[in-house]
Amino acid sequence: MYTNRKYYEPYISPFDPCKPIRVKSYSTPPNLYLGFQPPGLEQFSPREALAAGTLWKVFYDPYEKNKEG
Amino acid sequence: MKHKQLPNEYYELLEELQATDFVLLELTLYLDTHPNDIDAIKQFNEFAKLRKQLRKRYEKDYGPLLQYGLSYSSYPWNWNDTPWPWQV
Repeated sequence: MYTNRKYYEPYISPFDPCKPIRVKSYSTPPNLYLGFQPPGLEQFSPREALAAGTLWKVFYDPYEKNKEG
Repeated sequence: MKHKQLPNEYYELLEELQATDFVLLELTLYLDTHPNDIDAIKQFNEFAKLRKQLRKRYEKDYGPLLQYGLSYSSYPWNWNDTPWPWQV
């Protein structure tokens, strides 16, 4: 399933004392995937927009905590 | 001295004003890069008109929003009465 979250595998040193984190991830903002903003995108209502921090639904990015950790 | 508690309508109206301002801000930034988007311009003017009405309603009951002649003053001169914006 398409997601804004990207994954990478860091190098794990044999001398690393802690339990190694094999796969790490970071979330990327939606505007990366949308070049020049097209007109007529779907919008939030004013109050929702104020809470969401953007007027257009496509740019809403609450930077969710990574569920799989 | 007992402070006058602001009615619930005050917070309703203030939030509506803030939401309208935010939409206007977003549309302004959008229109800076999309000057020919007629629908966005119509929406902008619509919200600008709504904002004027909200401001009139707010200032009628709760005093001036801006100073130096940008808002009318009520009587007596009370722009510096509490609650201040951060106390609201």
